[in-house]
This record gives sequence, structure tokens and C-alpha cells, in this order.
Amino acid sequence: MAREPVAVVGGGSWGTAIAQLLGQEDRPVRIWLRDAALAERINTEHRNPRYLPEARLGEGVVASTNLAEVVGPCRTIFLVVPSKGLREVARSLADHVDGDRILIHATKGLEGDACIRMSQVLREETCCRRIGVLSGPNLAGEIAAGHPAATVIASRYAEVVDVGREALVGPRFRVYASRDVVGTEWGGVLKNVVAIAAGVSHGLGFGMNTMAMLVTRGLAEMTRFGLAHGAEIETFQGLSGIGDLVATAFSPLSRNYRVGVALAEGQSLDAITEGMTQVAEGVRTTRLVHALAQRSGIYMPIVEAVHRLLFEGVSPDVALADLMAINRNPYEAESVRSRVG
Amino acid sequence: MSTSQGRIFAFNQERDAILQEVIQRRLVAHGRNPDRLRLDLNDAAFTEITRIEEAGQTSGKAYGHWRELYRRIGRLDATGLEAELARMVRHYARDVVGNFDPRVYAFATRIVPPALSFLWRPQFNWSRLLNLSTARERILVQGPIDRIRSLAGKGTLILVPTHLSNLDSLAIGFSLLTQSLPPFTYGAGKNLFFNPFISYFMHNLGAYRVDRRLRFPLYKEVLKTYSQVLLERGYHSLFFPGGTRSRSGEVERRLKLGLLGTAYSAATRRLQAGASAPGIWVVPCTLNYQIVLEAETLIDDQLKREGQHRYIIEDDESSRLGRILSYGRQVMNLDASMVVQFGDPMDLWGHRVDEDGESRDAHDRLVSTRSYLCRRGTPHEDAQRDHEYTEELGRSIVAAFHRHTVATVTQVAAHAVWRLLEARFPNADLYGILRLGQGIGYSERRVLEAIEHDRIALHRLAERGEILLGSRVRTGTSEAILATALASFGMYHQRAALARSGNRIVIEDPKLLLYYRNRLTGHALPALPEELARAAAEEIADGA
Repeated sequence: MAREPVAVVGGGSWGTAIAQLLGQEDRPVRIWLRDAALAERINTEHRNPRYLPEARLGEGVVASTNLAEVVGPCRTIFLVVPSKGLREVARSLADHVDGDRILIHATKGLEGDACIRMSQVLREETCCRRIGVLSGPNLAGEIAAGHPAATVIASRYAEVVDVGREALVGPRFRVYASRDVVGTEWGGVLKNVVAIAAGVSHGLGFGMNTMAMLVTRGLAEMTRFGLAHGAEIETFQGLSGIGDLVATAFSPLSRNYRVGVALAEGQSLDAITEGMTQVAEGVRTTRLVHALAQRSGIYMPIVEAVHRLLFEGVSPDVALADLMAINRNPYEAESVRSRVG
Repeated sequence: MSTSQGRIFAFNQERDAILQEVIQRRLVAHGRNPDRLRLDLNDAAFTEITRIEEAGQTSGKAYGHWRELYRRIGRLDATGLEAELARMVRHYARDVVGNFDPRVYAFATRIVPPALSFLWRPQFNWSRLLNLSTARERILVQGPIDRIRSLAGKGTLILVPTHLSNLDSLAIGFSLLTQSLPPFTYGAGKNLFFNPFISYFMHNLGAYRVDRRLRFPLYKEVLKTYSQVLLERGYHSLFFPGGTRSRSGEVERRLKLGLLGTAYSAATRRLQAGASAPGIWVVPCTLNYQIVLEAETLIDDQLKREGQHRYIIEDDESSRLGRILSYGRQVMNLDASMVVQFGDPMDLWGHRVDEDGESRDAHDRLVSTRSYLCRRGTPHEDAQRDHEYTEELGRSIVAAFHRHTVATVTQVAAHAVWRLLEARFPNADLYGILRLGQGIGYSERRVLEAIEHDRIALHRLAERGEILLGSRVRTGTSEAILATALASFGMYHQRAALARSGNRIVIEDPKLLLYYRNRLTGHALPALPEELARAAAEEIADGA
């Protein structure tokens, strides 16, 4: 039986890494991107010279700028575009898909101030129902280098998870299954705030005790927030929760982490973002999550501290001192199930 | 008979084939694994024995039969188990299957409307008896009827109404008839078949029997399979997705989706048999009463503490002829005392459907509904997938119920006064308010202010398409709403929810007030303005 092709929409570094995983054993993969010259080079060089040059793409990976051509013959479509651009891409995609297709997005982020999750964007823009999310501790560079790694695909539809798994697994890549779309998506969003805090801690010269505290208590906050939004507790204990959080918080490469370090050095938010080509997602996330947590009375002291640092002109020392001085029922504060206003 | 009149007219020719198909499918589904069969039989026997014991009916024949079976199951070999299961499946399938007699239908359609008119205007009047006009004035039927009628001729409809009263089926039957919509088959509680007269009609009008006392999977699966086979063969079907009458008076928020879920496998099988599209559409429908016949019993039942309430009530107002006559005489004398509101037909994925049966998404793009039931382009059964589809459809239906709720004066007045009570007793829970609210009165002015606040909010909701307004609520002032509500409350219930006493509006029955108010809680109207709430609280303090 001829192997059916899989589509990847988006040719950034993560999209390229996914195409590499999908294209193992020369399996047919079609990758869509906007830049015709880059598509041309991918097709001749079998690698993406701009975003992930170290990833060697299989012979079956073909790039194109024609969306209809890319997704037309593909039952399974991975969407790997920035959160800001997903709606527009989904809208164009909608003309070429029907209810038989499987959409799996690998985009961590929220849309707009209304905090619309990426799977919701896909649901609103297309007629597709078999929608899933891929999320986990997956730094594209390490995947390209062939380091062993694992991820989660979450969907309400078992078929989505089965098909996605089958397409992605390989000798160095494991795929876990989940039904908790909400928790999986929020995990990939919330960790960015904790990553900023981790950067601050590093910038202030603190060591692993502090990091462990931030990561552990950060996870508790994330879980508490997730539960309030319909997620399941187990999700945060898995790869898309603690897994992604650890990878992000301990990775000096992440933009959010670098924002934290710069804050610790006393730079203002404006100065920091001016020096960056891409704004760190965690900055916007902090503002949105802070507002949501306030409105619903969810106890999130680390988010609160990062918010004060970023938007309220509080110095890192003061924010940290306040964080450490929080005086409340320690049992209640420990629990992820208590929601305190 | 034109096709839009429905497949049901041919039911009797197909009856035996349908029955055999249901039995066959169930037997295949149960399989031949002796362990599995033993488990299924044990489950049925155990559930029934427990139920009969709890009902104190251990002297009956059924009890002895189940006890005997229960003892025997362990000793049965594979052949014996299969035979016992087949016997049981056959028994329950026969028990469920309905009948349809076109002659009875023709008779009923001639006799029922005048009888209804008679009920609603009991003074003997031959000229009234011969036409529908009375009931037509009393029951308003609204909605995209032409589109629904057109779809009924092109495919299979599933009607999903809200459920408040035992009069619902009557009102729906009446609406279908007057709008030239075909009859629908539906599952009626077995208790309704005990009366031989009613039973005769129900049985011959396509209703099938649902014994809601039976809780074991073997029986429920027979029911589901029957429903699926009917849909597959193109019978328009009616399900009350609330499962039972709303006890609280609220619009349904949680649905029982078991029977609705059979639509997906029915549609898949249709495609597998060569159909080009599923051709099954869902029509939500709300039944909106100014006064509900069984309001007192229902809310009483609701207020018994959590988990205590009865799923099946057999001794409410609808079983007492006096109450029905009084209801007919009093309430149905109101113009538009009830509105049957048909909603926009949707496909099994919640999309809007035009009169040609084409589905369109929120962006007005044509949707291929076939593709939802396919895997790699081929129709494919997938129970897990269909379960998710059903859940999503349930949410679409709940949303449609809310959009198509018609707010009546009684609900608006009750909602406003309940808000005043909440302001007066900010620390009381529901039961506290019910206890403390008894006999409390407000000045008419205060009540009008509260109604005005809700009235404006409702108009806003209506402009956004989130609710519909009854004619009096739509065009009337707060004064008119209050006056009509007081008149309605006063004409039927033993004690009025609200009544006038001098220039005060007094809460005579807080439970009824709660009941009528509950219809609007799903719409989350904005809270009373601070100063009005404060004034309400202080006014009581003065007047007390």
C-alpha cells in the first residue's frame, strides 16, 4: 500500500523539525511555507537553511507555497505557525478540507485579549472536528540533532491521537496520548511566565534551590489555573506540563528566560523588547493570565510577581522579597485544589 | 400520501422486518462469548431483582422468574446462555415496538383538534367543535415551518423539544398537525400505556414503549437499536433530550443523549448502503407556557434535597381530571397562553441547514456532512468519534433551546421579584429565601422598577438573538407585564406566586415564584442596580 502523505503547514524551525520526524524512512511529507525561494532551497538541499539547517530532511519531504497542493492529498495536517498567524492560515486552509481531515496543531500561545486557544481557532475557522494539539518539551534544535525526546498529542478523538502517533514516532521520539486538550494547551502557554521568573532568578545569581522552588511552585500555579479552566490534574504532571516547564525554565536559549535575565539586570521592559526581533510570548501571557486569575480568584503568586516586575515598575529585589514574604495558610497555599480570591 | 407525510404510514408493512432487524443486530452485538453473555444476563437479573425488591413487588410473577434465572445462569452452558439471551432480546424488542394504523391516525386527526378546542373552551359549542380556531388562538406555533416541512420531504427529522409538562406531547402533536408537518414516532413512558384508551391511540400512532424502570444495558441497547433502525429507515423521530420534565422550570442544560447518539450510526449505515448524504436533521423546539399545569408538583419534587427527586412521577396534576379541566378552562382562555417555537433545523454537527438540505458553516461555506462519517473517504463506524459528535451536538441543542426560549410575562415578573427577595436576604441560601419570602410584599412601584430593569435587559438579549420575547413582553410596558402576570398567576394555581394586596405585590407561594423565575436563569440577566437592591431591602424593613 502506498503510504499516504502527511502535511505540515509552516516552515519555521519547529515545523521543520516535525517534517523531519514525519519524513523518516522517506515517508512522503508535504510542507507549506510562504517563501518561494526557501521552498526551492528545501527541495534541492533537503534541509531548511534558514530555520533549522542542521536537520536533514527525508527524500520524501517536498516544500511548496501552494496550500491547496500541499494539503489536498493529505488526510493528516500538522499546523505549526505562530499563534498570531494561525487564524489566517486556518481560514485559507478551510477551503481545502472537509470533516474527514485530521488537524493537529503544534502552536503554543493564545489569540488576542480574549485568550482564545489554538484548537478553538481551528474549530472556528474550519469545518473540521478531528482536531488535536501536540505539545511537550520539544526544543527543535535537539530534535534535529536526534536527541531522544517525547511529546503529547491530545484530542477528544481517539483517531486523531492514533494517526498522529503513528506518523511521528521513531527510534528517538516517543508520543504520549491524552484526551485533555484544554490542559495540554494551557500547559504550553503558562510555562512561559514561570520561564521569565526562572530567568530573573538566574540573573540575580541564584542557584538550583531557587530554580527548584520556582518550577515546583510554578507548576502548582499552572495546575490550579488549569483546573479552574476545565483541565485535568494529570496533564500538568506529564510532558506537556512539568516536562515542558522544566525544558523551558532551564533553557538559557528561550526568549522568555532571556527577558527574565534582562529584568534582573535592571533593564526596563521597553528596552528589553526593543532589542528582540520577536517579542517573548511570556510577556503578553503574563498580562492575560494575571487578568484571568484576578477575575476568577485563582491564587498565582509567581504570576503576580512577574506581572509586577513587567508592568508595575517594581524592582526584582522587591518583587522577590514580596514573593518570599507571602503569609498565608501554608497548607492552603500548597494545595493546587484551593482557589483563593 | 405524499412523502412529506412520512414513512410512518408504511410502518405496519415494515413492522416485522424492523423487529427482526433489531433482534438480529442485538444478538450479533452480544456475540457468543459465554463469559460475556453470562455477565449480560447476570447484570439484567441482578438489576431487576434489586428493583423489584425495592418496589416491594416480590409477590409478582416477574420476581420469581428473575430469581429462578439468576440461580440458573451459573449452570448454563454456551448454548443455554445464547438461548436465554435471545429469548430476552426478543421479549424486550417486542415490548418496545410500536404500531401505526393510518385509519386511527385519520380518525385522531379529525377528532383530536376539536377535542382540544373543547378542552380549552368547555362551553358546549358545535360551531367551535368543528374547527380548530380556538386552539389556534391559544397555541401559537412559530418558527421556520416551511423549511422544516421541506426537509421532512427530503430526509429524516429528529425533533428535540424542551420538556416541561405532560401536555407537551399534546401540544407538539397539535402543532405538527396544524402546520401540515408529518407525524413523528417517539418513545413514550410505559405508564402512559396502562390506560387502555390512551394506549390504543398511542400504540397506533407510532409511539413505541419505553419502560423507564428498566435500567440494565441489555434493555437500553434494545431501545437504542430500535431507535437507530427507525432513523436508518427514514422515520421522523422525536426525543425529549432532557429525559424527563424539567423539575426546576429551568431550560435544559444537561441532556440525555443516548437516543440522539444513534443518529450517527444510522447515518453511517445509510452512507454505507449507498446514500450520498446522511440526510438526518435535528429540529430543536421550545415549549413555552405562561402557566404550567404541573408547576406545583414539579418544583416540590425539585426542592426535595439533592438526589431525592423522582425520575418518574405518576400522581401529579396531569393525572387529575379536575386540575386538567380547571387548567383548560382558566389558563387556555388566555390568548397565546402557550408558544410552540420551532428552531432552525441543524445537521448532526450543529450547522445551519437550508431548505434543500445543504449545510452551511458559520462562514456560510457549504459543508460536506458525509465527510464527518468517513475515514479516508469511506463511510466508517466509530463509536468513540460519534460519542464526541453527540456531546457537541448536545451543546448546540442546549444553545438553541436558550436562543429559542420565549420569555413570558409570568417568568419576567417572577424573575424580577425573586431578585428583590435576593436583595432582601443576601445571606440566605435558596431554602432560606423560600422560607423567609413567604408572605412578603413590595410596593408596586418597586416591583415595576425591577421588572423594567429585566425588561430592558431582555430586549437587549433579544436584539442579539439570544432569546425570544412573548408578545406581551415584547410590546408591553412593565405595568402591562405585571398586570398580565398577576392575572395569569391568579387563575389556576392553588396559591398564586404573586398577588396584589392593596398597592402591594405579595408573594403567596415562593416556590412557584422560584419555578417561574428559573426559566430565565440560563440567560444570566444582569444584577439589579445597587440603589434598587438597597431600596428593596429597606422597603421591607419599613413595611414589616
